[in-house]
Amino acid sequence: MTGALLELDSVSKTFTRGGLFSRTQVEAVIDVSFRLEAAKPEIFSIIGESGSGKSTLARIILALQTPTRGVARFKGRDLATLRDGADRHAFMAAVQPVFQNPFEAFNPLKRLDRYLYATCQRFAGAKTETAMQEGADKALRQVGLSLAEVKGRYPHELSGGQLQRVAIARALASGPSLLIADEPVSMVDASLRASIVNLFRKLRDELGLSIIYITHDLATAYSISDRIIIMQKGQVVESGDARTILADPKHPYSRTLKESVLEPLAPGERPLFAR
Amino acid sequence: MSAAMRNPAAKPETADGPVVAVRDLRAWYRLRLFGVDREVKAVDGITFEVRKDEIYGLAGESSSGKSTLVKTIAGAMRPPLEIVGGEIQFSFMDGTMGLNRAPADLVERVRWRHLSYVMQGSMSVLNPVRRIGTSFFDFAFRHMGLDKAGFEAAVVAHLARVNLPASVLKAYPHELSGGMRQRVTIALATICRPQFIIADEPTTALDVVVQKDVLAMFRSIQREMASSVLFVTHDMGVHAHLTDRLGIMYAGRLVEEARTPDVFARPRHPYTRHLIHSLPRIGDDRPRSGLEGTPPSLANPPSGCRFHPRCAFATERCRVEVPPMEQVAPDHRVACFEKDRVEATP
Repeated sequence: MTGALLELDSVSKTFTRGGLFSRTQVEAVIDVSFRLEAAKPEIFSIIGESGSGKSTLARIILALQTPTRGVARFKGRDLATLRDGADRHAFMAAVQPVFQNPFEAFNPLKRLDRYLYATCQRFAGAKTETAMQEGADKALRQVGLSLAEVKGRYPHELSGGQLQRVAIARALASGPSLLIADEPVSMVDASLRASIVNLFRKLRDELGLSIIYITHDLATAYSISDRIIIMQKGQVVESGDARTILADPKHPYSRTLKESVLEPLAPGERPLFAR
Repeated sequence: MSAAMRNPAAKPETADGPVVAVRDLRAWYRLRLFGVDREVKAVDGITFEVRKDEIYGLAGESSSGKSTLVKTIAGAMRPPLEIVGGEIQFSFMDGTMGLNRAPADLVERVRWRHLSYVMQGSMSVLNPVRRIGTSFFDFAFRHMGLDKAGFEAAVVAHLARVNLPASVLKAYPHELSGGMRQRVTIALATICRPQFIIADEPTTALDVVVQKDVLAMFRSIQREMASSVLFVTHDMGVHAHLTDRLGIMYAGRLVEEARTPDVFARPRHPYTRHLIHSLPRIGDDRPRSGLEGTPPSLANPPSGCRFHPRCAFATERCRVEVPPMEQVAPDHRVACFEKDRVEATP
């Protein structure tokens, strides 16, 4: 297939706050445009602090919110024209979210395999129990787990890293072409973070999946992204190749952001807050 | 505090000893329900001390027991958590059990005056229906021994130290930004000039740019008051830039402790080593690997060294014996049988 997988064309979103007399407008996303090619799967990072509009942008891409101005298109289809029914169903199968906190994303009283079965049944056309189990197992194997490890388990029985893998497997079960991962590693322990990051890279290379990685963590964004955009107060202040931008950010805000990242010291470097 | 003591070249050991010394502390969650005993050994044999005028960092992942350790030291224990053994000694009070067995009136006098606490969620620390000024009054008035006017002047002067205007005293917590609120909680914790401050993930909820400012301010206040700080966070980047000494916890035990630069330059425990090598850095394209295996369950921890199932250096001895914490260099302690082999491996 040729053309754009996802295309945002000067998308803006304005929220209105207040009542009859004191109405204020909050511009969460202002004039954002970018394009992901269908033929070239990539990891595309959206970087920004809280309040920079990155989560609103994610909601627009997931068609949970319609832009106030501009158009968001997925495979050529304007997302604002999606209605409930077959169209939306097909869209949901193709674009799947992974959330920040796997402990909150899953119901603590519901067994994890149920989520996978439900997704397989609804989006992958699995009719029989065997087909659902096969689908769940296939998705779990893609993230380095297996159905035998997850079957009958509740969320509290797995570690944060494993649980986030299950969340990714659930998203993969519908056979998507785009994954929206909103801060997927910030709740995962540091020693397990690298394995989730490596998993995203593997999904891109082996399954040809495009991933939109939303984060405020420049270091992980640097290690996995192909392209990035940096957002401040709803606006894209810098965009392009990840390595080029993060090696030498041009915009003052990107520079502040990069300087604020606390990294382990190189030999001979002085700590920022030395005594 | 004399200038010489703050000089990094001076010996860190001061004549007046550590502000808090924890010896072989064991604090377990013990549940006895319907004849079933369940013990979760969240803190299992920890020995360390926080010296005068230093920031001692404590790093560890979720469920490594760092919050339990902090609660035990702060005397904020609730059943089923109980101290099974060991000692906590503060320089500012008698007794070897810290605040845990002390009479209520003594705890009342010591807390906030000598020992204070900065918590993670500033929104849940500050009472949402009381103005900031009232919160200051609630926390600190009786410890300061000042009249109302004097107290207010002291609060305003102290707020200036954390770069907050006096007008925040009239504000409610929700009217302030996250960074301002966290600065308010730091001001609250430091207004009585306590000798010992516990900071549990104080900047984790903040954005990177704000975090940098808050940490810089935290260090300058600490320097000015020469307090001792126990700084808990899982963020190794924060430890690298802020703390003087660093202890690494794994599954309820301390596995390594050294001056912070030494931990990063010469880690001798395989877990510390992995933790540091797995950190991504901007401008460094080497692939990183995650730790294999699952984090240990504290209800049923692995035998011997608790890290052995995930350790590349593990031997038969590690499966059976618990490695003791041993001094390997000045101010550097490690609990690992294979520490020499770990150090020799590039």
